[in-house]
Amino acid sequence: MVRISIDPVTRIEGHLRIDVEVDGGVVNKAWASCTMWRGLEAILRGRDAREGWVFAQRFCGVCTTVHAMASVRAVEDALALDIPPNAQYIRNLILICHALHDHIVHFYHLSALDWVDIMSIPKADATKAASIAEGSSSWSGNSRKELEAVQNKVKGLVASGQLGIFSHGYWGHPAMRLSPELNLIMFSHYLQALEFQRKSCQVVAILGGKTPHIQNLAVGGVMNAINLNSLATMNMDRLGMLQAILEDLIPFVQQVFLVDNCLLAASYPEWFKYGRGVANYLAVPDLPLDAKATKFDLPGGVIMNGDLASVRPIKDWKDDAFRKAVTEDSTHAWYQGGGPLQPYKGETIPDYTDFKEDAKYTWVKAPRYDGNPMQVGPLANILVGYAQGHPLTRKWTDSAFTQIASVHGLKVTPNDMQSTMGRYLARSIRSSMLADLALDHLELLKTNILNGDDTTYNVPTFPKGEVMGMGMHEAPRGALSHWVVIENGAFTNYQAVVPTTWNASPRDEKGVPGPYETSLIGNPVVDAEKPLEVLRTVHSFDPCMACSCHTLDVSGEEIAQVKVQ
Amino acid sequence: MTANLSVSIIGLGNVFLGDDGFGPLVVETFRCAYECGEDVEVMDLGTPGLDLAPYLYGKDLVLIVDAVHSATPPGTISFFREEDFVSSRAKLRITGHDPGLWESLAHLRLAGHAPSELIVLGITPESCTFAEGVSQRLVQIGWEASATIADLLENLGVACRARSTKVTPNFWWLPLVDTKRPTAA
Repeated sequence: MVRISIDPVTRIEGHLRIDVEVDGGVVNKAWASCTMWRGLEAILRGRDAREGWVFAQRFCGVCTTVHAMASVRAVEDALALDIPPNAQYIRNLILICHALHDHIVHFYHLSALDWVDIMSIPKADATKAASIAEGSSSWSGNSRKELEAVQNKVKGLVASGQLGIFSHGYWGHPAMRLSPELNLIMFSHYLQALEFQRKSCQVVAILGGKTPHIQNLAVGGVMNAINLNSLATMNMDRLGMLQAILEDLIPFVQQVFLVDNCLLAASYPEWFKYGRGVANYLAVPDLPLDAKATKFDLPGGVIMNGDLASVRPIKDWKDDAFRKAVTEDSTHAWYQGGGPLQPYKGETIPDYTDFKEDAKYTWVKAPRYDGNPMQVGPLANILVGYAQGHPLTRKWTDSAFTQIASVHGLKVTPNDMQSTMGRYLARSIRSSMLADLALDHLELLKTNILNGDDTTYNVPTFPKGEVMGMGMHEAPRGALSHWVVIENGAFTNYQAVVPTTWNASPRDEKGVPGPYETSLIGNPVVDAEKPLEVLRTVHSFDPCMACSCHTLDVSGEEIAQVKVQ
Repeated sequence: MTANLSVSIIGLGNVFLGDDGFGPLVVETFRCAYECGEDVEVMDLGTPGLDLAPYLYGKDLVLIVDAVHSATPPGTISFFREEDFVSSRAKLRITGHDPGLWESLAHLRLAGHAPSELIVLGITPESCTFAEGVSQRLVQIGWEASATIADLLENLGVACRARSTKVTPNFWWLPLVDTKRPTAA
């Protein structure tokens, strides 16, 4: 038996340590440990509830807007405050474009290199690669000329001997199986993705005033002024500009990102068998369509034991069962007390010990839903939608299945999606859905404005005494909820139950492990010194453990290590 | 002299982690003390990881203010250029905002959209303790750093002048320290 400790896991946001025990080339035990403490909840206590979102958007350096949004929604929930439709649409557009940006970066820049071997690119036949790429997509950026230019860049890089950021990849690993041509196609999109990452940021910046920390939010709506006759406000020009950017961005999502994931799935079919893990799924409804948030464009729900027929819809944010079901436990986390506690009563008092696998070993608490660990993220999002017959989810999931079957001859079912590869595929399916919804919500905004509604904000009134509220958001990494207790307009408690807490959860008071830990059981590891397969499964969740001290190191200190015992 | 260089002045750091928040502090100080042309963007980007790339994309000049690990005494300002990092870059420490600046830069360079020039103004931090704000000494150094940036821009041919009307910096995350500009001795 071998014990492997990967600390930190690289190409993620923040600090994550993964420990696995491998026997006969297969993982049989795993521990996930977040090695950085995020104590922002403590900073929020005592603050004016109207300003909570400004602080909350610093919870994480990457997922800024998602915390801002969950924060205002929590306060609005506490006040039972309606949000003007214009504000809902503007918020939705920001959330959609943030998510598109995030999903694109995750696939290409944070995880593609677990599957794509750059070092084989010099051997590719660019003409053949162009014909493969043009045969599977109508995207205009797949010409032989384009691919040859990328190949030459890689050749130059390899010849220079200075691989820089690519010097630590597991190149030539036996689990890397794409042809040189497919590696070239994928890497060429990896570079093109930078431009589309920028375009989605532009949308957020136009609507949010600034990125990555948006300025336009307020408890009660948004601060965007709408006046079709004014140059300085949201007017037809500005709406036209947004439309033009989206029309540039969408083909990349639907004709490149999704197509590449279908190609990856078809090339690595065995990865539909690994990484299933915790098969309980949780997704929350999002993209509200009206002032009272009664209708949503993304459905929420709960699935237990991988049985899609068991889906229980979460119809709206008032869902009582959700509020009662969520708890967090600290038995194995570096906090005082144990639990489980309901988030309104949650505590965040640090109690650091070393990594003790049978006791406390992480800064992440163990959230539970009716006492069960839950998997969150795009896969949960897709499965609860598919199980409820949500048309847009069906459209894009079936489109992916058809593509994989017709172009690559592999039959994939919704049940196969409960796997490492399923999580990748789900992210690209969700992105294709969001791309459609971006145009829908821009149209909703435009129509509402043209109908004469220019309201974007309802003034909040804070009552004397205590109120409680919960704000949800189906974030790129999954279900996010902020839980607030407000007394006389200031926070007396603030707890954020974030997607990575669900997925990176440690064992709970009953010793039941979380999704990362469970998903690694049965995962193959061919070479203990190069645990590429462990990274594939961990990266499939899009780990984000950010919000930590991050100073640059110019002295050349120790890098990430894989320790094998 | 080029009239219209596109410039990003970027503060990096976590505002809640003591001196790690030096970058955001300096850009806010600079924004309030100086005014530049439309082609100069002054931004507090926090700890964006790979999300840094869009802000470097296609720029003529990028100036980054950040805390750096260095053997020099706390409060020391040092300048780095891209080439200073090349030799040691494979040995860069993996940190909380990994992947970050160098990964974003390398991606952009391969894709042909890297900034033409990149300068890092680094500060050696005294303490990066959670929830404590920037240390008093670094607040004062922040004003000097701001003036240094203005000089640097002028030398590089980027129009930049001291504001005639005073703007008060909004250090919303720093309730505990004296953020006033020191009066001239």
